[in-house]
Amino acid sequence: MMRRSPTWPIHLALIAVCFVMLVPFYWVLKTSVSGENIFTFPPSIIPRNPHLFYYVDVWYAIPFARYFLNSVIVSAITIAANVVFNAMAGYALTREFRGKGFILILFLSCMMVPFQATIIPAYLITGQLGLLNSYVGLALPQFSTIICIFVFKASFDAIPGSLIDAAKVDGLPEWRIVWTIMLPLAKSAMATNVILSFIWSWNNFLWPLIMTRTPEMQTLPLGLARFLSYQEDTTGALYAFCIMVLAPGILLFLLAQKEFIQGLTSGATKG
Amino acid sequence: MEAYSGSPRSGWKKWLLNRFVLVPAVILAIAGAWDLYASTHADGLVVGQVLDAQGRPVEGADVTLWVFSFTTFAENRSVKTGADGSFRITGNPSHHIQLSAVKPGIGSSQRIPIRLYFRSQNTTLAAPLVLSGRG
Repeated sequence: MMRRSPTWPIHLALIAVCFVMLVPFYWVLKTSVSGENIFTFPPSIIPRNPHLFYYVDVWYAIPFARYFLNSVIVSAITIAANVVFNAMAGYALTREFRGKGFILILFLSCMMVPFQATIIPAYLITGQLGLLNSYVGLALPQFSTIICIFVFKASFDAIPGSLIDAAKVDGLPEWRIVWTIMLPLAKSAMATNVILSFIWSWNNFLWPLIMTRTPEMQTLPLGLARFLSYQEDTTGALYAFCIMVLAPGILLFLLAQKEFIQGLTSGATKG
Repeated sequence: MEAYSGSPRSGWKKWLLNRFVLVPAVILAIAGAWDLYASTHADGLVVGQVLDAQGRPVEGADVTLWVFSFTTFAENRSVKTGADGSFRITGNPSHHIQLSAVKPGIGSSQRIPIRLYFRSQNTTLAAPLVLSGRG
């Protein structure tokens, strides 16, 4: 019988890596409940006199609820658009058609163009559509992302073609094939789309900064910038704000982490 | 085509009883309960007592409420203590306040910072305001 090598060194290494990754999060959390300056010496690992009043300060210093609502609405629109458009594009790329190779290369090459380079055309198009300073306008540039299209494509590629053929024989139109056959079998790709589009939309700063014209339409990252411009001594409150901004994204990731990992790795192996 | 429609009976359980619905529902329930609690305990009431250095109640002391205003604390309102040294301030508009007390001839207290969990939260001072020195 072959002797198994001990797993504790791997676990020890993983614990060490986890510790390194989690220390910054712990530090932000600790400062948000204690207000201890980062330059405090000696630094304390356990927060001294922890309390939640910095969170209360943030809530009242700026219209947090309004910014939060704006971010939620914009993220919800972005997620819905991403799932629909990326699924359609991903499905199309699983089919054979003339110029498919060119489209794939075009998509891949477009990934190399940063959003900052296309922000002026994006602004002009949004303005011509009459969507400046609106929720749909805030979400518009992120309606579809190429990475997420490829996540769907990889997941759809793994579905046997015979299923699609059978659905066609039964008379299903293409959109119903995507909706009732492909998407239920690609839940992990959908979760990956939801998480990625949520995080990108939630953290987006530049586009809302440029296209919002009233404080009522601003999102949380802009609120953070506004909060910083208000306050001087923000050690505790600033970190509390960061936690309040980060929490929804972390929660969503924890809820869907299994599907997220599956979605990212599907199509990575064959056979 | 019905073969692709799924069972309607198990559908609602599948959509409702999963972590993506239950976790946000619990969070919303907690937020709603907190909102309800805040709305029923936000009369702006601040209750406490003023004592002298010997621990005796001080009648007629002026208790002042200071409210945090952007970067500094501004005087908001004052009340006088009763025969048992107790005071009752109504209409506190803030979540971040200070209290001070003074009575000429007896002394004055330090400003006591008070943090509240929401604006106008009703609160009772855990420790009395103690007058010391000459006012």
